[in-house]
Amino acid sequence: MTRSDPRLSARAVRIGYGGAPVVAGLDLDIPAGRFTALLGPNGCGKSTILRAFSRLLPIESGRILLDGRDISALGTKALARKIGLLSQGAVAPEGLTVLDLVRQGRYPHRSLFGSWSAEDEEAVEAALQVTETTGMRNAPLDTLSGGQRQRAWIAMVLAQRAGILLLDEPTTYLDMAHQIEVLGLMRRLVDEEGITVVAVLHDLNQAAHYADMLVMLRAGEVRAQGTPESVLSPATVADIFGVEVSILPDPETGRPLCIPRRLSPGQPG
Amino acid sequence: MRLVWIALALALTGATIASLAAGDQQVPLGTVLGALTGDESVPATARIIVVDLRLPRAVLGALVGAALAVAGTATQAIMRNPLAEPGILGINAGAALAAMLVIVGLPGLTEAWLPWMSFAGALLMSAAIYALAWRSGTTSLRIILIGIGLGALAGAAASWISVFGPVAEVQRAMLWLAGSLQDSRWIKAQWLLIWGLPAALAIWLMARELDLVAFGDTVARGLGQPVQRVRGLAIFCAATLAGAAVAAAGPIAFVGLAAPHIARRLVGRSHAALVPASAIVGAILLLLADLAARRAMPPAQLPAGVAVALIGAPFFGYLLWRKRNDAV
Repeated sequence: MTRSDPRLSARAVRIGYGGAPVVAGLDLDIPAGRFTALLGPNGCGKSTILRAFSRLLPIESGRILLDGRDISALGTKALARKIGLLSQGAVAPEGLTVLDLVRQGRYPHRSLFGSWSAEDEEAVEAALQVTETTGMRNAPLDTLSGGQRQRAWIAMVLAQRAGILLLDEPTTYLDMAHQIEVLGLMRRLVDEEGITVVAVLHDLNQAAHYADMLVMLRAGEVRAQGTPESVLSPATVADIFGVEVSILPDPETGRPLCIPRRLSPGQPG
Repeated sequence: MRLVWIALALALTGATIASLAAGDQQVPLGTVLGALTGDESVPATARIIVVDLRLPRAVLGALVGAALAVAGTATQAIMRNPLAEPGILGINAGAALAAMLVIVGLPGLTEAWLPWMSFAGALLMSAAIYALAWRSGTTSLRIILIGIGLGALAGAAASWISVFGPVAEVQRAMLWLAGSLQDSRWIKAQWLLIWGLPAALAIWLMARELDLVAFGDTVARGLGQPVQRVRGLAIFCAATLAGAAVAAAGPIAFVGLAAPHIARRLVGRSHAALVPASAIVGAILLLLADLAARRAMPPAQLPAGVAVALIGAPFFGYLLWRKRNDAV
């Protein structure tokens, strides 16, 4: 499989919480071995899509395919070995250490009576190393900074050894330095570990800087998708967020930079 | 860690021997050990006191304490709530209503039915709570809220029966409701083992699942845990275990709440260690409480359930106070 083959796809997916659908007719391909950012205003269905991809939410119709196979055919543990999810605002029990947390990532690989194996140990060590949390393995989570704690959670999902990572707003509530720390880590996971990363992000400039592909959503619908250069235009941003922006090339990287000017005419607020 | 286990084993042995030795008729330590090992030189009265009168009570007390503690450990894990105890699952309310029915309400039933009816009442009540909390899945909060609601309803029904019942029988029911080991017999211990041991072992085998439950449904499901199945199974096991304990000794409060907390301070929060540690702590707690209940104002005997609260609460407070600078 080449790197650009879609690993995870949605076909005519409709997701709702009983009433009107939050997402309807979603068609989306997540390319393998790339960093895809989901962007859009609050309530546009970004998190809903991530939860449906990891089967936390049932879909009402349509299909979600993982490497061409419908994910509803997979067992819960089998799915967790392929797709890791880091939800927003996950909370660990108090007093738990980084190592305790990361070890939980091995859950889908262990059977009822299976003891802790060399492979489990190796996966945990590798996850600690990649996230640079090895030195704080015995520290209780509640003593860490927000960025360190987020890295520990990412280490837990990495210990799962899933080829696809779904991250719901991994940078929200972090200060700028910690945001860059986490985004840089995600970039490394894609470049060095070959992992497919899908993250819900809020900052357009950070997304344009770090991600390979942007998916712009509004009201449960994909309005634009592609490389940052092809997607980020004043017209798209006005359509998605209702904000007039200027787009400039980053003087260092050439990636698009987005500067908000004013609310589009006719926008509430 | 090993020291903690040795200390727990010693404390359990000590509590058992103390409850065999102490009583209206004090038996010296050597005689107790002799009676237990079948030493021929031990006088017959001492042997009868130790082996026939006090041993069943000590064994049943230890088993009831352990059962309540393990059920409490599972309940706290599943509810993700440190204040949870088996009573949340409706065990006590169901058993109390059933007991009230047997003792006061239904004159046709003899007291031989009491353990069976209270066991059935406990299980029915927790099944009802679970079923009413089910709405394409359950959540801890819904179970807790419905448990409180149904508990109040059952309590009201029990009060209703007691208001119109004959005073003597109501008083007997009240005594049962306080939780007591006074009527300890081998058959009860056997019965508790048959029902409780498989459930306790199942909870211990689920240790890894219970560890993961603490992270919340989203994280657990993200890691591939069948959350609803785990919760249902753990609740069923805890209800069986606590229901059997209540059937044997009446509703003894506090052990199921305090023992898991004490054990957690001793061995940490990993359930592989926490479940057995909590069982031992529960056994010790109830043995000591029953000992105190018997010795507090002889010849009168307090119900063990009352003594548990009297001894346990200050100790619990001390533990929290000592750790007052830690998170929770």
